[in-house]
Amino acid sequence: MSDWSKVARPIPVPNEWTKPFWDSAKQGVLSLQRCQACRRFQHPPYPTCVNCMAIDLAFEPVSGKGAIYTYTIMYHAGDKRFAAAVPYASIIVELDDAPGALMAANLLDAPYTEAKVGRRVEVTFERLNDDITLPQFRLEGFGVRQSRGAMSEESA
Amino acid sequence: MWAHRCEVAVSGVGFSKVTRSAEIPLAAHALEAVKAAVEDSGLSMSDVDGLATYPELPATGHAVIDGVTIVSVNCMMAMLKLPNLSWHIQVETVNIGGAFQQAVNALLAGVCKYAVVWRAMHNPKGTYQNLPGTYAQGPAQFTAPYGFGGPGQGMAVAYTRWLETHGQSREKMATLAVTQRRHCHMNPHAYFHKQPLTREDYLSSRMVAYPFCLYDCDIPVQGAVAVVLTTAERARDLKPRPAYLAGYGQRLKFEVTGRIGSLSSYMDGGRSSSSLTWERSGFAPKDVDVAQIYDGFSASVIYGLESYGFCKEGEALDFIQNGRIELDGELPLNTFGGSLSTGRIHGLWHIIEGALQASGRAGERQVKDVNVSFVGASAPIVTGTTFIFVREPY
Ligand SMILES: [Zn+2]
Repeated sequence: MSDWSKVARPIPVPNEWTKPFWDSAKQGVLSLQRCQACRRFQHPPYPTCVNCMAIDLAFEPVSGKGAIYTYTIMYHAGDKRFAAAVPYASIIVELDDAPGALMAANLLDAPYTEAKVGRRVEVTFERLNDDITLPQFRLEGFGVRQSRGAMSEESA
Repeated sequence: MWAHRCEVAVSGVGFSKVTRSAEIPLAAHALEAVKAAVEDSGLSMSDVDGLATYPELPATGHAVIDGVTIVSVNCMMAMLKLPNLSWHIQVETVNIGGAFQQAVNALLAGVCKYAVVWRAMHNPKGTYQNLPGTYAQGPAQFTAPYGFGGPGQGMAVAYTRWLETHGQSREKMATLAVTQRRHCHMNPHAYFHKQPLTREDYLSSRMVAYPFCLYDCDIPVQGAVAVVLTTAERARDLKPRPAYLAGYGQRLKFEVTGRIGSLSSYMDGGRSSSSLTWERSGFAPKDVDVAQIYDGFSASVIYGLESYGFCKEGEALDFIQNGRIELDGELPLNTFGGSLSTGRIHGLWHIIEGALQASGRAGERQVKDVNVSFVGASAPIVTGTTFIFVREPY
C-alpha cells in the first residue's frame, strides 16, 4: 500500500469557475459541472458546454460511484513531492452519472496492484487543509467492509 | 487530390551535434544545423528568405531564455542577418510540423523562395521536469494533486487503456525499441548510435510510469536539426535530389485542456490529420513504402499506426512483429532510429528522414525502391501532423 502520509500534494487553487467544485468537496459531496441545456456532465470544467455550445453551466452532485477508466503506476521518484508514495496508482475514473467526464484521482486504501481498467470504485475525501478537500477514490464497498471488519473484531 | 501536390520539395537537411545535456548555448546547435542544411542544398546563406520554427521548451520549471533554452525566429534573425529575408513565422497549435506546413504555404504563395525550418531542443543539466510547485493552478488543479506531473503519466494512462481494452501485453513493444535502436546504428547523428539494446534489456529495464519502462521514453538531449524547403522547380536546380511533398494534414480535433486518459483524443487526432494527407496525395496506407511515426513515447507509434490506417485498432503491437518494420520488411518504420534512439528532437527529424528516404539519400539505412514515404510528425493527440513525400512527382 502506498504511504501518502509524507506526500506534499500540490494544493489546488480554485478560481471563479471551479470554486463550486471545491466548495462542494469540502462538504463531502462530489459535484461536477453540468450543462443546463443538454444536461450533460463535463470534467474538467470548461467555460462552455463542449457538447451543445450552451453557456449556462452549473455544478450538481453526482453519486460518486463509477469505474476505473484507466490508470498508471508511478515508479519514477523524480517528483520529490510524491517520492514517498512510489510506487502509487494514479487513476482516471469515469462516473456512472457522468459518462465521458474523466476524473483524475489516486486509488486509496488498496495496494496499487488493485488498479485495473473497469474496477468499480467510489468517491472518498482527503482533507488537505482548512480550505481544500480532495475527492479521491477507493474500491467500491470498501467502507462497508471496513465497518463490518471493525464489528467482527469487537465481537471476537 | 491536392492541386499543389509535388509543387514544394525538401532540399538540404542539417544536423547539429547531439549531447546529453547543455554544454554550449542552444543557439550554437541551431546555427550548426541551419548552416549544414543550407550547405547541403548548395545554397549560400543570402539565398535564404524564409524562416519558420516551433521553439517551445518541453522541460518544465525552467526559464525560457532565447538562444539558451529556446531558439526563436528572432534569435535566428539576429544570428543570420539574412539580407533577403522576406517571410517568417513561429507556430503554436501543431508543433514543428505546423511550422513546416506554414513554410510550404508561404512557398506556394510566392512570398519566399528558400525557407529554412529548424527545431532546437534544450536539455537542462539536472532535473528535466522540475515540479517544485506548492500550488496547482488552472487545469492542473484537477490533475497535479494526484501526482500527474510530467507528460509521461498523461500518455501512460492512455496506453493502459489501450492495452487492457484490447487484451494486449506491453512486452511486445520490445520489438519496436530494439528494431529502432538497430536502425540508429546506421544514423551517425543519433544519440544512441552504436549503443546496442537487446530485447532482454527492454524487458528487464526499470519501470518509469507503468506501462512505460525506461526504453518506452525518448531520452532528453540538447541538439538541433534543420531543413531547406523550396519550390519543386527551384529544388531541381539544387545539389541534392528533391523529396517532393505530395500532401499534408493536421489534427482537426481537440478535447478540453486538462482532460487526460482519453484514448479517443489520440485516435481522432490521428485520423483527422491522416485522412487529409491520404486525400490530398491520392495515396492509401497500402501504397506506403516506408514510414516515420513520432515516438516521443513508444505508444505514440501504436496510436499512429492505427489512426493513420496502417492496421486495425488494437492490432498495432502484433502488426510490428515478425520483421515487418525492418529495413527490408513490409513497412520499414522509424528507419533513422526514431526519437527513442536519436534523442528528443521532436518531429522534424521524422520529417527529415521521410524526405531522405523519398530522395534516396538515407545512405546505409536507405530502404530499397522507395517512392511513397509517410511521416507522422508528432503524437496525434495534440500536435498531430502528417506528410507524404515522393521520389517521383506525379
Ligand atoms: Zn450542453
